Amino acid sequence: MLSGVGIICFAASYSVALLLELSRLLFRSGIRGAVMLGFAGAGLVAHSAFLYYRAVEAAGAPLSSEQDWYLVAAWVLVVMYLYLVYYHPRTSFGLFLLPLVLGLIATAVFFANAEPFARGPASKIWGMIHGCSIVLATVAVFLGFMAGVMYFWQTQRLKNKLPPAKGLRLPSLEWLQHANSRTIVVALITMGIGILSGMILNLMGEHPDDGRVPWHDPVVLSTTAMFAWLLVAVITSAVYRPVRAGRKVAYLTVVSFVFLLIALGVGLFLDTQHGGPA
Amino acid sequence: MKFQVVGCSHHCTPIALRERLAFSPERVHDALDRWRLEFPGVEIVLLSTCNRVEVYCAAAEAAVVPDRRRVAEFLARFHGLDTSDLLDCLYRYVDQEAIHHLFTVASSLDSMVLGESQILSQVKQAYQAAAECESTGLLTHAAFQAAVRVARRVATETAIHRRRVSIPSVAVADFAKQIFERFDDKHTVVIGAGEMAEETLRYLQDEGVRRVTVVNRSFERAVELAQVWQGRPVQWEQLDEALATADLVISTTGAGEPIVTAEQFKRIERSRGDRPLFILDLAVPRDFDPAIGEREDVYLYSIDDLQAACERNRRQRDKELPGAMRIVQHETVRFMAQQHHRAAGGVIEQLRDGLQQPKEEELQRLLNKLPDLDDSSRDEIRRSFDRLVNKLLHRPLASLRDESRHGIPHVLLDAISRLFRLKD
Repeated sequence: MLSGVGIICFAASYSVALLLELSRLLFRSGIRGAVMLGFAGAGLVAHSAFLYYRAVEAAGAPLSSEQDWYLVAAWVLVVMYLYLVYYHPRTSFGLFLLPLVLGLIATAVFFANAEPFARGPASKIWGMIHGCSIVLATVAVFLGFMAGVMYFWQTQRLKNKLPPAKGLRLPSLEWLQHANSRTIVVALITMGIGILSGMILNLMGEHPDDGRVPWHDPVVLSTTAMFAWLLVAVITSAVYRPVRAGRKVAYLTVVSFVFLLIALGVGLFLDTQHGGPA
Repeated sequence: MKFQVVGCSHHCTPIALRERLAFSPERVHDALDRWRLEFPGVEIVLLSTCNRVEVYCAAAEAAVVPDRRRVAEFLARFHGLDTSDLLDCLYRYVDQEAIHHLFTVASSLDSMVLGESQILSQVKQAYQAAAECESTGLLTHAAFQAAVRVARRVATETAIHRRRVSIPSVAVADFAKQIFERFDDKHTVVIGAGEMAEETLRYLQDEGVRRVTVVNRSFERAVELAQVWQGRPVQWEQLDEALATADLVISTTGAGEPIVTAEQFKRIERSRGDRPLFILDLAVPRDFDPAIGEREDVYLYSIDDLQAACERNRRQRDKELPGAMRIVQHETVRFMAQQHHRAAGGVIEQLRDGLQQPKEEELQRLLNKLPDLDDSSRDEIRRSFDRLVNKLLHRPLASLRDESRHGIPHVLLDAISRLFRLKD
C-alpha cells in the first residue's frame, strides 16, 4: 500500500517538473522556475519519506532489494538535479535528467515483488558498501551520459551556426567536457569499490544456496566488463592527450552508459544468482 | 490634467535634422532652465538620443501646456533654426497616446533596433536630468516611474531583449560563450585591424579575456594596436605559432585570398592538442579557408554566418512584438485610470468628510444618551457607525473608479458635487 501510493506520489511530482521543463520550449514564464523546483522538491521529500519507511520496515533497507536499489539511484539523481538547477537555474538540465530519473523509478516498479537480497549479519556492512558504491557509479554514469548528450547537441548547434534554441539553454562545451571527464573518473572509482566489496562479500560465502555467487554469473561478468571499460577509458585519456578532448570524452561517457544499460539489463532479464533472495 | 509629447524620431525625420535638434548633456540643463522661465508651472523631461528628440511636458491645468507650434518655436529658438523647418517633422501625442508612446519608447519597441537595451537607461537619464533641474512634478514623476516599470515587465515577460542583433554581440554571446565557460585563461589572437574586431574584442574583454596577441602585416601597426587593446604584438611570420596556442581568433585583414589554408591549418593543428578553437572570420574575402571549419574542434564563423544569425534573431524579436505591445497597452490603460481616479481625489475626500461629520455628531449624541455603556459596547457601536459610512460610500466610489477607466469622470464628479453640495 505504502509502496504503491508513495511511488506514484513522487513519480507524479517529477513528471510535472519534467512537463514544466518541456514548457520552456514553448513559452516564457516568470514563476515557472520556482514552481518546477517546488514540484521536484516535493517529489524528493515524498521519495525520501518512502525510502525512510522502507528502511524502518525492512532490515538492510534502503538497499535491501532491487527495487530499493533503483529508487536510491533515482533519489541521488534528483538531488544532483536540484543542485544543478540551483546553481544554473536557466540551464535545461531537467530535460535530460528527469527522464532518466523516471526510467529508474519505472524499473523499480518492475521489481516491486522481488525478494530482498540475502544478507547475513557479518556481510551487512560489506553489502551496504557494495550497494552504495554501485549506486554512486550508476549515478555518475547517468550524469556523464547526460553531459555527453548535451555536448553532442551543443556541438551540433555550434557547427551548424545556429543560435540557441528558444527555451533550451545548454552549458558551454568546456563545462560539459569537465563534467564528462569527472563523471567517468568517479564512476571508475566507485565501480572499483563496488566490485571489490562484492568480491569480499562473495568470499564471505553467506549465500543461502551454496554460499557464493558464481564468478561467471552474468551480472558479475557484465559489471566487470563495464569496470574494465572504464579503466581503459580513464587510462587512455590520461596517457593519450587527444582522448581528453571534448567530443572523445563525450563518446566515452555514452559508451559507458551503454555498458551500464547492458549490466542492468542482464540483472533484469537473464537468470542470475546475484542479489538472490534471503 | 494634461500630458503631452512633442518630438521627432528616426521614423519621420532625417538624421541631418535630428543632429541639429539634439541636446548634448551639457546643454540639456540650459534648455530645461529656459523652459521653466518660458512656461512656468509646466513640467518637462527632455529625451535626446541619436534616434529621437522628444519633449515630454505635463501640467495639472491643461491650458498652460504649450501646443505643438509653441514647442517647435522653443526648439527652433534654442537651436537657432527656422520654426517652419521643424513643424512638418514634429509629431504630438496627448494624454493616453502620449503615455502609450512613452511606454513604447522606454520598452525599446519604437527603437531602430527593436529591443536594444540602451534606450531604457537614456530614458532614466533624461528624467534624472530634469529632476536635478527641478523641472519634474507629480505627473512626469508618475509617468516616468511607470515607464521604467513597464519596460522591465516587457523585458521579463517577453524574449524581445534576449536575442542579440549586432554581429559582435552575437559572436560572443551566442557562440563564444557557448564554447568556453571562462575567458580569463584563454588566449585571443587578433589578425589585422578593424572596427568590428575592436568591438568584438571589447565584448570578450568584458567577459574576462586578458591575454591578447595582435598580428598585423605591418609590425608597427601591430605595436600600435596592441597598446590600445592591451595586447602583445607579434611579427606576421609568427602567425602559425600564435594560432597554435590560440583559443579564440578574430581575423579582419584586407587580404585578397585566405591567409590560412586548410593544409597550413593541419600543420598548426598537430601542435594544438585537440583544444577547441573559435575563429571569427570577419574579413571579406575570407581569411580562413572554409574547409578549416570542418575540423573536429574548430568552430569557424564568417561574417555571413553571423549576419544570418543576427537576421534570425531579428525575426525572433519581431515575433515578440505583439506580446510586448499588449503589455504596453494594458499598462497604459491602467496608468490612465489611476491618474483619472487621482483627479477625482478632491471630490472623494470631501465626500468622506461630508459623511464623517454627521456620523461623529450622531454617535456622540447616542453615546451621551447611553452613559451606562461599557467600553466594549461603545467600541462596537463606533465600529458599526464606521461600517455604515463605508457601505454608503462604497457604491459611489466604485462608480467613480469604473468611470475613471474612460477618462476623468467630469459628469459624475459634477453630479456628486451637486447632490452632496460639495465645494468646487
